[in-house]
Amino acid sequence: MKIRHILLILTAILGAALLIAVASQIRDEVLEYQTAQRMVASNTVREQLLLGTDAMASERSQTYVLLIGQRNAASGVMELRDTRRQVDDLLSAAERKIAATQGSLINTSSNLESLSRIRREITALRQQADDYLGPAEGARGEKFAPRWFQEATRLVEELQSSRMTILQRERPLDPILRTEANLRTFGAILSESIARNQALMSRALGNPTDIGALEVNAISQNAGRAELSWELISGQMAASLGESVKKAVSSTHENYSSTFAPLQKTLLAALLGKVPPALGPEEWYESTGRTLSSIALMQQELLGSSRDRLEAELSRAQRLVALWSALLLLGATAVLASILVVRRRVVQPLEGLSQAMLRLADNDLEIPLPRSTRADEIGEMNDALRVFKANAIQRQRTQNEKQVLHARLRDAYGQLQKDLEAAAVIQRTMLPPSSTVEGVEYRGLFRPSSLIAGDTYNVVRRNDGAVGFFQVDVAGHGAPAALVSVACHHALSQAILTRTQGTPLEEIAVHINEEWPEDLPYFTMILGEIDARSRRASIIQAGHPSPLVIRSDGTVEVIGDGGFPIGMIPAASYERVEFDLGPGDRLFVYSDGLVEAEGQDGEQFSEARLRTLVRDTAAEPSSVLLDRLDEVLRNWRGSETLDDDLSVLMLERLAERIPANAVH
Amino acid sequence: MLSTDLRGNILVIRVEEKRIDASKAPAFKEKMTQCIEAGQNQIVLDLSHVEFIDSSGLGALVSCLKRLGPRGSLAVAGATGAVSRLFTLTRMDRVFALHPNVDAAVEQLSA
Repeated sequence: MKIRHILLILTAILGAALLIAVASQIRDEVLEYQTAQRMVASNTVREQLLLGTDAMASERSQTYVLLIGQRNAASGVMELRDTRRQVDDLLSAAERKIAATQGSLINTSSNLESLSRIRREITALRQQADDYLGPAEGARGEKFAPRWFQEATRLVEELQSSRMTILQRERPLDPILRTEANLRTFGAILSESIARNQALMSRALGNPTDIGALEVNAISQNAGRAELSWELISGQMAASLGESVKKAVSSTHENYSSTFAPLQKTLLAALLGKVPPALGPEEWYESTGRTLSSIALMQQELLGSSRDRLEAELSRAQRLVALWSALLLLGATAVLASILVVRRRVVQPLEGLSQAMLRLADNDLEIPLPRSTRADEIGEMNDALRVFKANAIQRQRTQNEKQVLHARLRDAYGQLQKDLEAAAVIQRTMLPPSSTVEGVEYRGLFRPSSLIAGDTYNVVRRNDGAVGFFQVDVAGHGAPAALVSVACHHALSQAILTRTQGTPLEEIAVHINEEWPEDLPYFTMILGEIDARSRRASIIQAGHPSPLVIRSDGTVEVIGDGGFPIGMIPAASYERVEFDLGPGDRLFVYSDGLVEAEGQDGEQFSEARLRTLVRDTAAEPSSVLLDRLDEVLRNWRGSETLDDDLSVLMLERLAERIPANAVH
Repeated sequence: MLSTDLRGNILVIRVEEKRIDASKAPAFKEKMTQCIEAGQNQIVLDLSHVEFIDSSGLGALVSCLKRLGPRGSLAVAGATGAVSRLFTLTRMDRVFALHPNVDAAVEQLSA
């Protein structure tokens, strides 16, 4: 799993968790909002029903007193018409409310049903009452009055119970709302008790002597119910109700207990005691009406308070829903934004960097690096990568330069090597091949330490029959020594050839030594001459190892004990060493590279070993001796290479062939 | 490769190498030249540790002598074996004053 997946999945999970939490909160808030909405709807419907109930109670009293003929028919009927319209308006309003709140309230159809039935019944009842309200009806109306009262009361009670059903279904959870609902219920009972007595007492006061015990009992019961209602209302007052509500309740109670209750008590006592009451039905009706109005005001206050509370609750729930919805939107935006930011600021740069790193690791230096001016870790990584790339480019450039340089060096070295090889060929061609001249057989061994050597030798036949020879070892080795050796080779060969007969050999050495440029390396040499006619030979030893003479009988002698090298001391003098070189005698001239050749343990081959070897192979021909020497030296060195140039020149005076016709 | 010891006005230079060959000769020559150019003209060269001198080494030795010029002197002490034989073979025993040891060389130069 890549980092980008981990990051994106983590962000998505966090975001989803956040969104789920907020969404569930929103769900709760929506439910609360719906509840509040339902409460408001329920409250509104109940309010309408309560007002409708009150209005219907009022209609009942008005119709009742008209039926018993206590009111002025004309004005009473006018008033009744208004009240009826009011009842109809309120009931149809309640119906509309119920219909409108069908969405939020449950089981409203039964309420609607009962409401329309009540309306049908009240209409029917009104028509019946209207028949008795005509001016001619008089006593018939009075007869109908109790039935009207009973039926109307049943309808009022049905309205009440319809309202209670709704209240039971949508019981508010808020304690104050609940208390207010209770207060309204008790207030409705109170209002209904008083309204019933308004009608019943009016009739009793209109005809006090004709009143039955049953009726008085009903009035007394209603009065008791009113008292009980007040007790219930007082029992609810402990709750923390609004100030205006408390005030309305207490002023209504004040009004009730100071005016209405004593009056009703007195009238009831008069009725019971068959004493003529102190109050006429008209005054009673008016007084009751005022008390009912005051109770209605209290109910209005309660309704208003509940409505305000519910509205506040509804708008609070609405606000919370809006708030949480906004939070949800914000959360969703934040999640989306963080995913985008993670993608843009972390994932994409990381991918870019990782791509670039992989390509760089593959040595792809053409890869463009992601542009970044950021100061965070990604920026740092980017900067570091930039440095890596710069270093890699630098390294590659250096590498390329090195390769170019190396190739150039290789070419130069190859050229040099070729030059040296060519020079080596030339140098070898300068050396005389094995041959015999003037009865002197010679052969050489030549092994440079590198391609070209500071060693050289030559054998020159002079016009006078003498055989001149030399072996040179220029100090140092390699190219400078080789060049000098070539110069020596030429100078000495020329000197031997051009030497005037009788000039001592040492003069050549003296002359060359004097003429030798100081800047050139010095050299050692054996310069010699073999007289073809005598058995004598002579050499100049200039710092060169002393040559050996291998006598024909196998004895070995050392010739000479040293001399100045050429080109070292300008004023040096040289001595000629003369010695016998009879037929079969051999002269063995060598450079110091032979005796100074070091074995693997650093030990030099030494003159002693050379003499032993020469002595041991003295019986062999020169070619065999040199081959043997070469082989022994290779074994001694343990390798094919040499530290110093090595050369050997062997000259042998052959046994004289006496010509057949020679005469001595 | 060289260690020096000033005895009076005589500089004793001891060669701390076993060989003065082509690989050592240039450095040897340079150090010796430094000593000479520092104003030393009475020099004893102690070769008692040296076992072998090749042609390059000998060339370096002679060039030091030449650089010292006629006013100075370069005495060689402690040359034995192959070194001694080289001096003989190349007649350098006639050019350098050879002494068996440093003390003898210093004494000779002081005299």
